[in-house]
Amino acid sequence: MMDLDYDFMISDLPTVVAGLPKTLMLTFWSMLFAMAMAVVFGGLILSRIAILRQSVIIINTFIKGVPLTVQLLFCYYAVPYIAKSFNGFLGYQYDPRHIPYFAAAVFALAANFGAYITDVVVSSMHAVDRGQYEAADAIGMTKFQGITHLIIPQAAVISIPSMTNYFIWLLKGTALASIVNVVEMLTTAKISAADGYQYLEAYIDAAVIYWAVCAGIEFAMGRFEHRIGFFMRQSERTITPISS
Amino acid sequence: MPTDLLQSVLPGLLRQVPTTLLYWFAPSAIALLLGTLLCIVRVGKHRALYWACTVFISFFRGTPGIVQIYIIFFGLPKLLWIVHVDIDGWPAGAYFIIATSLNLSCFVCEVLKGGYLGVDHGQIEAGKSIGFGRFQNFFRVIAPQTLQVSILNLKNLEIDVLKDTSVAYTIGAMEILGYANRVISNQFGVGQLWILGLAAIIYFILCALLELGFTAASHHMERHGRRS
Repeated sequence: MMDLDYDFMISDLPTVVAGLPKTLMLTFWSMLFAMAMAVVFGGLILSRIAILRQSVIIINTFIKGVPLTVQLLFCYYAVPYIAKSFNGFLGYQYDPRHIPYFAAAVFALAANFGAYITDVVVSSMHAVDRGQYEAADAIGMTKFQGITHLIIPQAAVISIPSMTNYFIWLLKGTALASIVNVVEMLTTAKISAADGYQYLEAYIDAAVIYWAVCAGIEFAMGRFEHRIGFFMRQSERTITPISS
Repeated sequence: MPTDLLQSVLPGLLRQVPTTLLYWFAPSAIALLLGTLLCIVRVGKHRALYWACTVFISFFRGTPGIVQIYIIFFGLPKLLWIVHVDIDGWPAGAYFIIATSLNLSCFVCEVLKGGYLGVDHGQIEAGKSIGFGRFQNFFRVIAPQTLQVSILNLKNLEIDVLKDTSVAYTIGAMEILGYANRVISNQFGVGQLWILGLAAIIYFILCALLELGFTAASHHMERHGRRS
């Protein structure tokens, strides 16, 4: 078989797993801000105010046309300047030895994925049947009530598969944060391998963990969607998806 | 942007555009072939091959591209050394192309599978009924219609691949972002944000051109269906 240090591969697994919480934190915060951005931007697109709508579309198009790597590096180089200008703001002390690279990575990831998730928000809102708006009118709900009580819950369920996809993409995307000095799982693997130059073994460990986590999330979200979408199962039976 | 920086950096960045396009085109071409083969297995009836492909695809979809690139970069020489093939002298770009091809073919397979399942089964029977053989049926009936259904998803994949060529610099392959990074470190960070902004604009233009190309292609493919 291959010339691999199997003992190191097994003994290194816990070390690499120790980097997983950092990766999950990075994913969590990025997803949170990305969804906040997507809701705001999606709302602006749906609001039909031409100038806001156009500017959101221009921003999103630009974000989508530029590699995540470039965005991460841009934030990485820009964060010292920004952190310096916030010196003394709300008790924040700028310290050149502790530059907030984690925050920079979160910003880059959130902006990048926020642009993609905006489309999910918009298309999910469009996917809700027009008749539901009329139903809200018919039972005397105001427009606001109709949107918050009827439309958004349905749009949220519709958006779960796409959101799960982007969440997994984001989880994988956080591996790129290793190039901007964020100590997440891939960086942990890299550091642990440096002593004996056993990089391949450490990277295989990391790959196995990423694989397990992504497969687990996919499975869990499938179950979750089935549970939470109970009130839409009626229509599920009539619509057969084109792709499996 | 300071004009002297523009004059000194822009030509160098533009000289790397062909490399970036190579890192985009080579995986795309290989993945179209490999992805089609995977797709044939995935919609076929051979159980053992089906499960082997499913695990393969699950791995490449469930792990970050950068980890795959690292594993190929460190692992492929070791793997080929078992059969006494020495590839240590290969350029880093070759490893990037191999890793990206494997990764992309899994995504292409899924997209094509979706497209294939979207093709009306009557079309395949119609092909058989007018006397097409298996290959004729594949190239004249199944492949064009599958491509037409999946072209929009393929476009998104290709744009992602074009952007992901920027990851190649992490294993030392030189392309647009790799060059930008080298200039930044040579200048000790002077004008780093301008240089990255310039690289971003070049990537944006390349993506826009690719998008236009795919839109034209999909219009061309739909030319028969538009009448109905």
